[in-house]
This record gives sequence, structure tokens and C-alpha cells, in this order.
Amino acid sequence: MPLESVQELIRAKIPGPTTGITVKQTFCDICAPGNHCGIDVFLRDGRIIKVEGTPGHPHNNGKLCTKGLASRQYVYRQDRLRVPLRRIGPRGEGRFEEISWEEAYAEIAERLNGVKDKFGANSVVFFTGYSKWYRPFYQRFAFSFGSVNYCSDDSVCNNSGVMGMKTTGGRVAMPDLRNTRLFLGWAYGGYYSSHLSPNGVKGLKARGGKVIIVDPRVTPAVKHFADLHLQLKTGTDGALALGMANIIIENNWVDWQYVNNHTYGFDEYAAYVRRFDPDTASRLTGVPKDLIYEAARLFAQTKPACLNPSGSTVAHHINGFQNYRAIVCLLGLTGNYDVAGGNVPGTAETYIYKGAGFPMKSVEFSRRGRPRKPIVGGERFPLWDELNEEAQDMDLTRQLETGEPYPLKALFALGLNLKMFPDTERFKRALAQLDFIVDVDLFQTDSAKWADIVLPVCSSFERTDFKVYGGGWAQLVRPVIAPLYESKSDTEILFDLVKALGIKDPLLEKGYDACLTYMLRGSGLTLDELKAADNKPIRSPRFAPYVPGTYTKEGYDTPSGKFEFASQVIAKYKESHNLDALPTYRNPFRDEKNPEESRKKYPIVLTVGARIPFALHSRFHDVPWTRSFRPEPQVDVNRADAEEKGIAEGDLVELFNPTGRIRLRAHLTDKVAPGQAALYHGYTEANGCELVDAGHLDPYSGFPAYKSNLCDYEKVKGGGR
Amino acid sequence: MGDLILFGPERCVACYACAVACMDQNDVDPSRGESAFRAVFERESVRGGQAVCDYLSVSCMHCEDPYCVKVCPTGCLRKDQETGMTVYDHSVCIGCRSCAQACPFGVPRYNDEGRLLKCDGCHTRLKAGYEAACVRACPHGALSRVSKEAFALSLRRKNEAIMLNLYGR
Repeated sequence: MPLESVQELIRAKIPGPTTGITVKQTFCDICAPGNHCGIDVFLRDGRIIKVEGTPGHPHNNGKLCTKGLASRQYVYRQDRLRVPLRRIGPRGEGRFEEISWEEAYAEIAERLNGVKDKFGANSVVFFTGYSKWYRPFYQRFAFSFGSVNYCSDDSVCNNSGVMGMKTTGGRVAMPDLRNTRLFLGWAYGGYYSSHLSPNGVKGLKARGGKVIIVDPRVTPAVKHFADLHLQLKTGTDGALALGMANIIIENNWVDWQYVNNHTYGFDEYAAYVRRFDPDTASRLTGVPKDLIYEAARLFAQTKPACLNPSGSTVAHHINGFQNYRAIVCLLGLTGNYDVAGGNVPGTAETYIYKGAGFPMKSVEFSRRGRPRKPIVGGERFPLWDELNEEAQDMDLTRQLETGEPYPLKALFALGLNLKMFPDTERFKRALAQLDFIVDVDLFQTDSAKWADIVLPVCSSFERTDFKVYGGGWAQLVRPVIAPLYESKSDTEILFDLVKALGIKDPLLEKGYDACLTYMLRGSGLTLDELKAADNKPIRSPRFAPYVPGTYTKEGYDTPSGKFEFASQVIAKYKESHNLDALPTYRNPFRDEKNPEESRKKYPIVLTVGARIPFALHSRFHDVPWTRSFRPEPQVDVNRADAEEKGIAEGDLVELFNPTGRIRLRAHLTDKVAPGQAALYHGYTEANGCELVDAGHLDPYSGFPAYKSNLCDYEKVKGGGR
Repeated sequence: MGDLILFGPERCVACYACAVACMDQNDVDPSRGESAFRAVFERESVRGGQAVCDYLSVSCMHCEDPYCVKVCPTGCLRKDQETGMTVYDHSVCIGCRSCAQACPFGVPRYNDEGRLLKCDGCHTRLKAGYEAACVRACPHGALSRVSKEAFALSLRRKNEAIMLNLYGR
């Protein structure tokens, strides 16, 4: 072959012996374990030159999202940490000296064991942000060290919804889009946050099915899918769900067979629902009466129907948990829980949050030897504490500040992200009181600058990792490139620290293979088989698909064994914490944090965390490809509102409220309703959480109200484009 | 002969997956002012009191008989007979920018040495049995590749359906 042809093939990245380009399989680990798509990595001379989705992969069948497609630049980010570091300047400044792994381990062991000896192991908080692949190992590590204070981003993400499902039907039930005739897409965006999910909705539309979207904003899902769009006011989801329930009960569209045989507390619920007549529901939510009626009629009269269990959007309000429960109750009312085409409780968790239809011992593994409480957040959020095996870290700020019920002295973090914490500046001040902070991270983030010791970790492309997928699949991947610089995998660091800290744990002392072998018990798979599969997914012989209705026959995992409109688990906390067993509704703003005058002074409702397609929390703001699409942070403001304030497209504006103030560019749009604004989070220079009150938490879940902040904004002088 | 890369706005959501795939395929470096050979954007309007967005992904149209090829003085630009794509030979470009003047879509751009940069339809990938990077990546089926014959046939079928609908049998 002529030389220029070979050069052209290399330029086009065509694999083969002539070009020396090979393709190896691995998976993406940038977002949450619900995805983690299969990736084909194109390699030349030991370097990644390109990625594509793995064709035929049981999860993503060849398709990646915008973020996954940017994997090469993510792995080779310029700010990758290279060696262990020790802080030499003030916290947050970012001055460090390079140290050896041995020095780092020795110092960490001395300091953490020192806190343990002097104050008790619970005074060491073990936090994890992204990624999540090591979590079973890490939780067990924290517990084996002796601290009950293992915590994560679960304190602000998804778990409120999980709790809402558990207190109502006992298990999380996912929409069965393949067999449904109607999808109630409550807070469903899909396209930008879960790129594979629109396929199911498209299939439904192609079969002639109906879609209702409930969203304060106009999104691509509204454009492509919505037969009805209920554009409610932010945080009024509960009032809308109760209003729909009112119409369903008044018109006798209730599935009485289901309600009579399989539910608990219906009469109480029906009596409460009477308060939400169509006029009241419409006034509270801003949705026209006839639209609420039509949505209720369609949802109740189309069988089977399913609804979207929003990951976090519904939950990010002080009333979020109960709003979520009010939505879930619609499934019981219409008999769409645990039926084909409704919301179907999946199989139990197989590995790291995911049910794959075969058993593993990962839950037992990770929760072994859970130490005694008191746990951070346990007293303040008892419902959270009862339903979760970890601390509610939204109470960290308070406990750090007050030292009650006991002082916290050290923080060990894998993937520390301070910008997750509401009122980040206040959280930083609280953190400054800690004696010792360790952050294990991929990048030199602004959060890592707060640590005393920083350890460099490698990406999923550089390590051995294991994953399960729906349909009975499991995949073990070996590294496709060597770890960059001196970085190590998170688990390797943990196993090294087990030795350095002198932790006594029979499995952790033996390392990754021994732990995974233990967790694979009962799975029908062995570590050797997985290794022999050469980074490809294989199917468990123990795979058993769930048959809808089985769970209903067995009785639900609730105190009554039924679908609980009135939750008996929550009822226990009526006296002590004033929690309601019914899915009661309260105004998302009218509370002691937002007195009457403040509501007038700060008339704009700000959503922090409205998704954009080319970012995943803070992880892509420093990836040049994705950052190039929107170089500067931006807030979406209502066009008429902005024009009234004399703000033009691209103007620099300041958003402010009593908690804080940030500056960013204004984007004028009619997709955001009057009186509302929405921004994407995780920017260091414009951190939306500066406007979120650290004490404005949902008393049921402890979740912060990221998505309902009162504020105002104005043009910065001289801030025109 | 050859193929066409089709864009279906009814499936696009401006997720930028095509643009990132293009950048990965072509080693685009934004720090040098470069951008993907595919522009993604949304255009908002208000229709019937409702905000409506058009989502678009636009690149070289790979015209049947392109002006850029006609005006290129060095033969840098040409139609590739096998794939139907409008391709170019970087080494022959003299940076005269005639193609930019001629292109009705504003496609041609130039690197920091002044030489042409544009979408080449991933023609080498197509010849090797791979899909164009953007088409391969599009998660929502908005980008596709069809042969010119198949496209002509589908247009004809569509027109027939319209006629039947209008005039009946």
C-alpha cells in the first residue's frame, strides 16, 4: 500500500495491522451506575485516539451520549493529578508539595488513627462523590475502620425518590415502557440526562400511545413527545398530583379492585384529597383546570399507564419527598403498580444500585459490621436514617459548626465536591475547623485544594472494574491503557490504606479479587469466567426475569404488606418530627426561611441544576470540547422579565438573595416561564449553590431545595456583550 | 453516484453528540480556535403562544455539483466518485479562500496556517466500511446515511403519497 494511503488510514483512525490501531472494549464511568455504557476504545501506541459505543452491548447497543463521546479528552484532561500531594499553603489556595505514596499513606494512617483514638472513629467522616464504582468496597472500608459516618451524593440525589417508593409500595417500581399505553412523564427530560431513555417513549408513540409531560420548562421532550404539557409552577408537583387524584376519585375512575384488595389508608387519603378540587389545584400549580382534568382522565382511563420516577428533580424542594409520594400514589389509585405496562418493581439490587435479574452478595458485603450510631443527620432526619445505610450529609454543615452531638475532626473523601453543598461558602468555613482532610481525585479541582493530602486516582479506562446490566449481564474489564502518571485505582488505594491503617477485615485485607469473588456468590458467575470473557459482557445462568404481579401476590415490603397511601413507617415520626403519613402538600416557599417580605423582595424562582446535554455536574466544565459549546456559565431567564429589567441576550447579570450572589451571562428565552430562572450547576466561577440556603432542607429526606430558590437579578454595570 | 448524509430535524434535540464525535474523529482543538465540522444550534420562536425550539445540526451539504469545487484553482477540492462526498487534499490548498466565497452555506474554514478545513464526509471511513463519525454517534436517529438511489426513491414515494392524499384514487 502506498505510504500516503497508510497515512490517510491512520488519519481516519481505521483499525488494522497496517495502521497499528487496535480496538478494545471497556465501559464509561462518567455518570451514574444507571448507565455506564459499553465503549470501544481505539488505541495507537498505547494512547486513546478515539471512542465509539460498543455495538451490540446489552445496555447501550453502540450509542454514547455527548459526555461519553468526549471520554478521550476527559481521560487526558490537563489538570489530571499526577502524584500524591501535601498542602503547604492555606486551605483553598492550591499550594502543594509532591510526596511519595508511602509518605502519604503514613501520614493518613497516623492522622486518621489519631482522631479515632482521641475522639472515636465516628469523628472521621467518609464521603464519596463521583464516581461510584468502588462504593461497596468503600462503605465496608469505612465501617471496618469503625466509623458509621459513610456518606455520599445519595444525600441529594435519587434516594428521596427511592424513599418515596419504599414508604408507599415497598419497592422502587420503574415504568414498563415496552408494554404501556400511556407515559406520564413527570419531570421527564430524558434527552439530556438519560440519552437511551427516549427510545422507549418513541416506541410508545409509534404504537399510538399517549404521553403527558409535567415540567415547568419547555424541553425537547415536550416538543417531541407531549400530547399534553402541564407547565406547573416550580415545586407544586404535589398539589398537581393531589388535584389529579381528586378528579379521579370524584369521577369514580378509581381501580376499586386494586384499591380494595391491595392498598392501605385509602379513606384517609381520599378525605385529604378532597381539599384539592380543580380550582384549588389550578390556583396552586398555575396549570389550567381543563388540562389537569384531561391529564387525570387520560391517566386513569388508559390502561395500562406508567409514570416517570424522576431521579431528583421532583425531590429538590423542601416539600419534594411528599410531592413524590403524592405522584406515586396515583399508581395505586389507578391500579398501575406491579402490572405489565405500569410501574414494575424490578428485581433486588445486584450490584451498585442496579438490579440485573440475578443475585449477588454486594449488599451484605458493603454493610458488614456497620458501627453504632449516632450518625450524622440521624437525629434531624429520622426517616432518612431508617431507610438508608448512610449518613445524611446535608446535616454536616450544622454538626461541623456546633459540634453536636459530637465533634467531627477529619474528612476522608473520594471525589470531594464542595459545590454539591448548599451555601458552599458557609460549608467551606465549617470545613476549615477540621483537623485533617484527604481527597482522592482524578483532577486538581477547587475542592481538592481544600484537602491536606490529595491522592491521584485513575479513570475507568485505566483500571479493573466490574459492572452489571439489566437482562442478567455482567462485565469485567481490565485496563485498556496503563494508569497515567503515578495514579492508582480507588480500590487499590483503599486496599493499601487497609494495611497502612491496620484495619482488621478478612476480605479487605486480601484485595479486589477476593472481595469480588465473595460478592459473586450465588450469581452463577465466577471471576475466572468473567476474566476469560476478554472485557466483554457475559450473561448469568441465574438470570430470572421478573414477572409482573408476583410481588403483589407475595405482599409488599411495607408494614401492612399493602400499597400504603398512609405510610406506617412515616407515621412513627408524627409526634417527634411532625411528619405526615399521608402525602400532604405544603407551599415550597412559605416557611420560616422565606418570610412574607422576603418573598416580595426576591420574586424570581431559581432552579439550580437544569440539565444541559454537554455537562455532568462539575465533571465536564474543564473538558475543552464540551466547554467550547458554552464557554461561559449562563442563566436562562424569561424574555419578558429580562427585557423589563433592561437586560439583553448575553449581558452579564448578577443573581442574588440573602444566601449569596453570583455573576453569569443571561440567555433570554420563552422556555422558562415568567418569574422563573434556571441555570446549570457546578461552575467554580458561578456556583449556583451559593444561592441555595444550607438549612432549607426537606424534613422527610434531608434533601436541599436546589430547585426552588427565591432570588432576584440585575444587569451588572458595564456588563453588556 | 454515492451517498447522502441526511438530517431529520424532527428527531434532533441539539445534544451535540454529533459535534463531539466529529471533534474526536478529526482531533479538533478548541484552544486553537477550531470547532467541529458540524454546527449544532437551537432556534427559538413563539408559535401559538407557546415557546417552540427548532434543533439543528448542520455541516457541509456535499452538494451534487458544488460551487467550491468549481472555483478551486488548485484541484484541492473535488467530488469523491465512490462515496459522493466533497473531499479535499490539504497539501494542495494555497489558502486563496475562493471556496469560502463560493459556498452558499458558509462551510469552509481555515486552520492557523490558512489551509482549508471542512467536513470530508469521513470518506475514508466510508470506504473502509465504517459510518461517518457523526452519523455513527447520533443517539436519536436524526443523522443517517442513504444511497442517492434510495433517497430518490423515498422522495418519489413521499410525493406519490401526497398526490394520492390530495387527489384520491
